[in-house]
Amino acid sequence: MSWVVLLLVALPFTSAALSLYLGHRGELAERGVAVGASGLGLALAAAVAFPHLGDAEPLGRVFASTSAAGPPIELSVYVDQLTAVMLLLAHTVAFLVQVYSLGYMAGDRRYPSYAALISIFTGAMTLVVVADDMWALLIGWELMGACSYFLISHHWELREARAGAVKAFLMTRTADLGLLFAIIVLGMRFDTYRISTIMGEIAAGGFGRDELWLPALLITAAVIGKSAQFPLHTWLPDAMPGPTPISALIHAATMVAAGVFLVARTFPLYLSAPAALTTLGLVAALTMLVSAVYALFTQDLKRVLAWSTVSQLAYMFAALAVGAYAAGVLHLLAHGAFKALLFLAAGSVVHAVGTTSMSAMGGLRDKLPDTFITMTIGFGALAGVVPLVGFFTKDAVIGATWEAALHGRLIWPWVAWVLFGSAVLTAVLTVAYSLRAWLLVFFTPAAAPATFDTEVPEPHEAPLSMKVPLYLLTVPTVLGGLLVAYPELVFGPGEYDLTHPWLAAVMTLLVALTAALVAWQWQRSGGRDPWHPFVLPHPAVDRIYDVGVVRPVEWLARMVRAGDRDVIDGYADGAGIATRGIGWLFRRAQTGNVQTYLMVVVVGACAVAVAAGVAG
Amino acid sequence: MMIDLLLNGLVSVPAGFALLTWLASGRERLAVVTAVLGAFATFAWSLWLAAAYDGPLGGSGSTIDVVWLESLDIHWKLGVDGISVPLVLMTTLVFVTALLSLVRYAPAVAEGGPSRTASLAALLLVIEAGVLGSFLALDMVLFFAFFEVALIPMWFVINTWGDPADGPARRRAATRFLLFTVTGSAVMLVGFLLVWGGADTFDITQVAATYTPSGATALAASLLVGIGLAVKTPLWPLHIWLPDAHSKAPTVGSVILAAVLLKLGTYGFLRFWMPITSPEWLLVPVVAALAVVGIVYAALACLAQTDLKRLIAYSSVGHMGFVVLGAATFTVGGVQAAVFASVAHGLITGLLFFLAGAIKDRYGTSDLARLKVLYGTVPRLGGVFVFAAMASLGLPGLAGFWGEMLAIRAAVEQAAVLPEDTYRWLAFIAALGVILTSAYFLALVRGMLQGGPMTPVTAATEVDATVELVADAVPAGPGAVAGERAMVDVRGLEWATWAPLLLLTLVLGVAPGLLLTPVADAAVSFLGGIG
Repeated sequence: MSWVVLLLVALPFTSAALSLYLGHRGELAERGVAVGASGLGLALAAAVAFPHLGDAEPLGRVFASTSAAGPPIELSVYVDQLTAVMLLLAHTVAFLVQVYSLGYMAGDRRYPSYAALISIFTGAMTLVVVADDMWALLIGWELMGACSYFLISHHWELREARAGAVKAFLMTRTADLGLLFAIIVLGMRFDTYRISTIMGEIAAGGFGRDELWLPALLITAAVIGKSAQFPLHTWLPDAMPGPTPISALIHAATMVAAGVFLVARTFPLYLSAPAALTTLGLVAALTMLVSAVYALFTQDLKRVLAWSTVSQLAYMFAALAVGAYAAGVLHLLAHGAFKALLFLAAGSVVHAVGTTSMSAMGGLRDKLPDTFITMTIGFGALAGVVPLVGFFTKDAVIGATWEAALHGRLIWPWVAWVLFGSAVLTAVLTVAYSLRAWLLVFFTPAAAPATFDTEVPEPHEAPLSMKVPLYLLTVPTVLGGLLVAYPELVFGPGEYDLTHPWLAAVMTLLVALTAALVAWQWQRSGGRDPWHPFVLPHPAVDRIYDVGVVRPVEWLARMVRAGDRDVIDGYADGAGIATRGIGWLFRRAQTGNVQTYLMVVVVGACAVAVAAGVAG
Repeated sequence: MMIDLLLNGLVSVPAGFALLTWLASGRERLAVVTAVLGAFATFAWSLWLAAAYDGPLGGSGSTIDVVWLESLDIHWKLGVDGISVPLVLMTTLVFVTALLSLVRYAPAVAEGGPSRTASLAALLLVIEAGVLGSFLALDMVLFFAFFEVALIPMWFVINTWGDPADGPARRRAATRFLLFTVTGSAVMLVGFLLVWGGADTFDITQVAATYTPSGATALAASLLVGIGLAVKTPLWPLHIWLPDAHSKAPTVGSVILAAVLLKLGTYGFLRFWMPITSPEWLLVPVVAALAVVGIVYAALACLAQTDLKRLIAYSSVGHMGFVVLGAATFTVGGVQAAVFASVAHGLITGLLFFLAGAIKDRYGTSDLARLKVLYGTVPRLGGVFVFAAMASLGLPGLAGFWGEMLAIRAAVEQAAVLPEDTYRWLAFIAALGVILTSAYFLALVRGMLQGGPMTPVTAATEVDATVELVADAVPAGPGAVAGERAMVDVRGLEWATWAPLLLLTLVLGVAPGLLLTPVADAAVSFLGGIG
């Protein structure tokens, strides 16, 4: 079995190499490799995952290791329930994205590199979730950053694509330093880089409260970057110029989900360090609100979804911050399903109308019936409508913060109260922005086509390869709530306390009220945007980074360049007596290369003689 | 006795082929082919040596020791261990690729003279012999001698075959290179003599085993050797010869300079500086600090460069900073990091200079203001370049990552006698250097590979609306950048020369244990007490 895990990691990379090698040598070859390999990957992932769900022993194995000074760096795998569900999530979404891309990217000249990068992305995520060695995890972790960089800049002709890609890479890589130093610190402390061993030792106790605050906070820094939480939340919305299927992959199953996964993977460490949990909780409370407000006002469909991802990820962190492991992981899975659905449906809309701006959409209900049905389900799940999956998992998260506020001992109650308040408020805002986007895309009468893009043909429904993934994703979106009812199926026997009936009732009431309000407002505004379109200024933190980091660095770079040219060159040439002197000697030695050589030897010999005198 | 043949052969095979090449120089084609054969033979020989050597340094399985100049106590002592074997293999491989590239891409000679590629090939083989001798030499004076053999032919390479467009700058670069490095090695020799005064031997294995550096003379010796090596490595602020030399040299010259010759300095730090230096001296943290300053300084310099070759040259300064930082931690982990980073830098920066040469061949310039949208005109070349850039900025899973991350780890876990807080701060600053390195490579990719004229897409009314599906926007045609010449994407011979570097970058990135394990074993046995 453990070899299958290794194969599962290697398969996507092999497929990527094949995709690149076969290149443009025929449609069947390039498409067949990409889709076939991801299908095979899904089958292997299922074969690995299902035996490890529920009440199963984790699988661990070390294949190779360096035998050297310090703790060894190992090639090792570890598969437990968390790994199993993440494998299923990642490979399902990756497979559907590959299938979907057959239609979406048809005719794209760069399809081979695109397909290869998706494969590498999948492989990197697989590596992250199965790795038992922290360095291996870091490889997958940063490889995803690089893949997202390339995929965001897929349309590199666009200025926004280039800028967004660089921003994504630099922000996440800076945060990744946290993970690097966490690995070093944990390695020094435990004399091993094996995650299962370290977490086992921490879980066994013997560590004081907050004794391990440093590595926990360092990991939190990396997670904040990867999962686009405040104050590093600005890269994710700017990553939207990438092709839409990529957004589905990044937002639902890989990249940003990896942040949540890492907290879950190192959960014993977090439980031992409430300082890190508190930080995570406060960051989550702020992030979920701020990003929901952005989602409320933006005019761009993909940005609505991007901000909602940031907000929903904060929900997961909120659950983890109050110690509700199962709620956090289940919301990750639920979000993976409905956000993949939403992005792929949005792709289908974009495919039809040729832009991501919602002001150019409207009235698409009849023209894109399949997209309409599936996207409605997706928005419903995002907003937390009964009985879709988002309702159950969100309820589990909010319930967990409520319980923690009342009688939690892990973090200060006020933090839990802040989280609870923020989560409820965000739930209301989520309903508002989901409903608004839904109305604007499908119901508001289409604006008269602007004169400059009269060439855009009448919107048409997407090909079958794009529709099938949409319908497939509705299955977990509709039925996923069952997992909340039977969490033992995933996590094995235990006390979970995921359902809070009266809280759910109150939340449903709130959802209904909000929806009614938005709908009423929409009616009142004559079926147009329910509130004044309002362009929020670009996130203010970006300005701070620009003034505080980017410009000083640029200034310093210019100084250094000038310094090297003038100042230090000064001493180089100003040791000029020597330079000129020897240059003169060279010239005296006529054209001679041989003479030059001899000259040098003489100089060397003189130095030897002097030194011998000194030493002797 | 086998080991005698192997060790002496590794130096004399390239030297012999250099002679053959020179003899054949009347018929240029034949001469170049001879030189390529020589490079392959040396590579095969080095593989044989790597497979055959056995046992720790100084033992009969890995070392030969013949008295050479008895009156001066100088021995012909050559040996290999886990520290030098990776560098030897990297060197022989890079020389194969460099000479192979000469088959087609002979650099032009200024002032319209005959191309004299045969002489260039012969000189490169002489350099190879010198470099390999330096990596094998265990006698300090012998090391110095081989060091000189490797350096001086490089002056001819830069001066004769360097940038034909800019004669004065080329000659200045060549002269400055020679002045700095020869002065540096002279200073180093003085240091060696001071060590001899204390240890009564030039044999570095004996020095490592018995010599205890203490007192003013020992400090002076360490300082002098350090300065000599710091020029060659180069360590900030002695790097000033490097950008000119690397950017004015012909492509093969830049490749050899960056991939191989810098390693003489870094290897010297490990083999000849660490045994004669006491980590208790203030000198050691100062060296570490200079290394870290170099990392940040070079990254900043790269951010502001306008010339591709200069940029890659400066990036070398930063990468070498990690190597020296590793050595200055006086731990086994630091030595591992230093050797790994040296080898990785050889592969990756060698590749980058090949690519810069290929770009300069096609576009006739390495001025970044004039290089635009390479993705659109030469996509495969752009793809390889972006791979090399990712490797160089330390993407995990590629070779560039391990050396630098392990150097940072070594700085956090420095030897016990070193100041802990200082080193932790240095580790942190070095890590910021990693980010700056990412920044300049991404800026390079954005400007050179992706950038260029494009149609504005911002809708007037909305700040945040993005438009997509413009994939068939065609970049400005090649004519806009490069006159009338049609651009050829990567050619067959180029694939052949780059492929080994590409593959090894990947292999070492995925399986770092291949290098880390032997290096650590060798470091423990050579340096004994450290770590």
